[in-house]
Amino acid sequence: MQRGYWIKSKPNYNTLSWRENTLGHMLIAQGEGGLALVKLLQQRCPVQPLKVLFSGEKYTDILNGFIPEGIDVFASDEEMLCELKSQLSECLMGTQFYVAGDEAFIWKVMDELAVYGVQERDVEKELCGTIARSVYCVHCKTIDKNVHHNIHLCSYCNRYLFVRDHFSRRLGAYMGVMVDAEVPGDIPARQEIYP
Amino acid sequence: MTIKFKQETFRDDYTFSNSPASIRRFPFPFDQDQYMYSVNIEPHTKGEPGSYVEFAIDIDEHYVAECEDKKIVLDQDPDRYIALPHMMDAQWDMVELVMESLSEDYPELFKLTKDGNNWHWINKPLAIDQTFVFGDQSTLPMEPFEYIGRQVQGDWVILDQRDNNLFADMGIVTTQADWSSAFDAGMSFQEWHGPVPHAHEMGIFDRALKFLLNMQYGSPVRRLNWTMTVNPRLDTSPENYPVWGPDNVSVTPVNVGEKVHLRVELQALFRLPRSNAIAFSIRCYLISLQDLVTYPRWAKRLHRVLKTLHPDLIEYKGLTNYHQMMIDYLAPMDDGVDIGLGTQPE
Amino acid sequence: MTTLTVKVADVEQVTDVVKHFTLVPENGELLPHFSGGSHIIVSLNINGRIHRNAYSLMGSTTEVDSYHISVRKQENSRGGSIYMHEEVKPGSILEVTYPVNLFAINKMARRHVLVAGGIGITPFMSQISDLNRLGYDYELHYAYRSNEHAAFREQLEEMCGDKVYFHVDSEGSQLDLKVLLSHQLLGTHVYICGPDSMVKALHLTAKDLGWPENHVHSEQFSAPPMGDEFKVKLVESDIELVVPSDMSLLEAIEGAGVDAPFLCRGGACGRCELEVVECDGQLQHNDHYLSDAEKLAGNKVMPCVSRARCSQLSLKL
Repeated sequence: MQRGYWIKSKPNYNTLSWRENTLGHMLIAQGEGGLALVKLLQQRCPVQPLKVLFSGEKYTDILNGFIPEGIDVFASDEEMLCELKSQLSECLMGTQFYVAGDEAFIWKVMDELAVYGVQERDVEKELCGTIARSVYCVHCKTIDKNVHHNIHLCSYCNRYLFVRDHFSRRLGAYMGVMVDAEVPGDIPARQEIYP
Repeated sequence: MTIKFKQETFRDDYTFSNSPASIRRFPFPFDQDQYMYSVNIEPHTKGEPGSYVEFAIDIDEHYVAECEDKKIVLDQDPDRYIALPHMMDAQWDMVELVMESLSEDYPELFKLTKDGNNWHWINKPLAIDQTFVFGDQSTLPMEPFEYIGRQVQGDWVILDQRDNNLFADMGIVTTQADWSSAFDAGMSFQEWHGPVPHAHEMGIFDRALKFLLNMQYGSPVRRLNWTMTVNPRLDTSPENYPVWGPDNVSVTPVNVGEKVHLRVELQALFRLPRSNAIAFSIRCYLISLQDLVTYPRWAKRLHRVLKTLHPDLIEYKGLTNYHQMMIDYLAPMDDGVDIGLGTQPE
Repeated sequence: MTTLTVKVADVEQVTDVVKHFTLVPENGELLPHFSGGSHIIVSLNINGRIHRNAYSLMGSTTEVDSYHISVRKQENSRGGSIYMHEEVKPGSILEVTYPVNLFAINKMARRHVLVAGGIGITPFMSQISDLNRLGYDYELHYAYRSNEHAAFREQLEEMCGDKVYFHVDSEGSQLDLKVLLSHQLLGTHVYICGPDSMVKALHLTAKDLGWPENHVHSEQFSAPPMGDEFKVKLVESDIELVVPSDMSLLEAIEGAGVDAPFLCRGGACGRCELEVVECDGQLQHNDHYLSDAEKLAGNKVMPCVSRARCSQLSLKL
């Protein structure tokens, strides 16, 4: 493809920044996403109520220091997502959401928010840590996580897949298509491009 | 009107072929010597008698065979059919649209009688005779949209309109040109068009979306889209790429006329009344190059379009391996004379 | 736009300024089905000029042997509502469009908060028939001036049960938008139809409280490209014509026998674009094709949907 071509379904992320006019803010982060929260809170602590859900160890003391209400720390992403589900059912309209972490995490959170009609453009999202991808094998429908290479061996059907940029928010994964369907065995060089 | 339905296959031994009448009425999409994407939407109004746009939904000689192929695909991969729970009104809208259109336009083949909500549907080509209560799912052998979707040619994607956008929340997709309905399910209009080159920067999807959001019941629209397929295969899904992929490198200068098919999609869009959804039908027509060139004007036009096609489109449409072979095949048929605008065969 | 002919079967005086019209198909068949929140556009021939007014469909979406609309007599209108009140009677024949919905409920919402002011209650009545039928969670707030203005109160009580709240000005019960919107659960959508000031107030309040735009819906009737009459000169064809208020520029050009290019006839595809040679007034761009800069520059116009407010528009055709 000509230079400048990109697939428009590929998500874009930004650096977290405060949004005005809200009833309250909910910050949800994991791992290196904690640093994104630190950067955000170092700018200022907003007037409105703050709720922070964090799964990770590294930044908890700093974050606790910033936030008078304290933060909720979880031992794992799964535990945190479980608590998020229950909190969201009582959340009010006017709550602003901020998400930071790796891509798989971001879309798991977005999936919970989507249940309540919260749209992508209304959520601050910062990609932190690894840019490894989840890959959906379009042939056997298996989703493999933590893929760092442009060519990936499907863990179920053993086909070599080209990792496309076409992304499904619902699945939180990029499409993988058999790379040597036309000439079996003709597989391009495998490169680590999602470190 | 009687149609002689063919018994033919769109896979394995590929016994598909077009009759001379079918060749002549083919939806040739190129009205000028160069092709680029555009918002080529026009009102879906009654066209010339015998043409592919005479009626809202076109039934042709391939009807029975295509319904059989659809059944094979759905049996192998039920995920080709999806209907999210909030789309039930749209399911019934579709039953009404298809049954009313077919019974009105092809009365020798389809019959619909209504007594309030008690409907009686007869589909002669598929030997179906069904009474049911419109609105009561339990009176049909399967979900309403699946029931009627299996009795009409082509893919249908039903879009829920919300958030100033359109979402693919329901669909029956078995003849797609290399996109995955299982993967794209739930995507918005711009998202599922993500991979298309150039068109986004040209503003085509922005304009098309705004137009579609304002579409009205009773005023359907249509447009044509095109690509090429090696062998008359309908199911060119990414799921089955391992099956049809090797065909792409099997084209030779000797077999290019016979194997390479122009694949044209007649896309029609209908606003649905009860659900306010938009029904998007993608109806696929195939013709081999050797049949196409029996009309010299089409041979010349296609030659010129392929010669000047943008490299990104050649790649996106999967033509790379045999693009030059097609040009070499058509070149001797093109005398370079100006043939004017228009898609007509002669 | 697709139209159909209907006959007025009944006219009911609901309040001293509101009349309810029952419309039935002229030829005895069923009317087109519609979704809750839809409206139709009624064409009225008033002293030789065509007026087009949009009215919400109030009836149940499952009963299409008749359509129900209500008209509030507006004293300072262009004459449409006065005509409906004074000239349209049982037996009158009207031409109406097929139903159009620009005020649809969002089927993914967790719950729906409906806010009606005065005659703005009408679109909610068909929405409620869908909400009830589909089992969706909702509440309706109906604000009106005084009990003489309580159109359809009994009907609403019957349809909504305990889901409807009445706010009657004269009884001192005002609807507090800020309180209403700051206590809604995540996933709620709010819908408003009423006087301009009320609609604006709700939008502002929602925005201040952090409601995303796509969760706030207000009725916007479809705006067909009608407007004041204006003269057009087709420079190359050397033809002068008049564009009547009820015809599009493209239709007027075609009516004058000129073969103008077109395709979608909806302002999206760009095929009908014409170059503006001169305009002694203002272009009214209703299309989705030209960029903002192009619209400002005023050198191009899409005749299928756009118009001009001027005495003469010269086009290169």
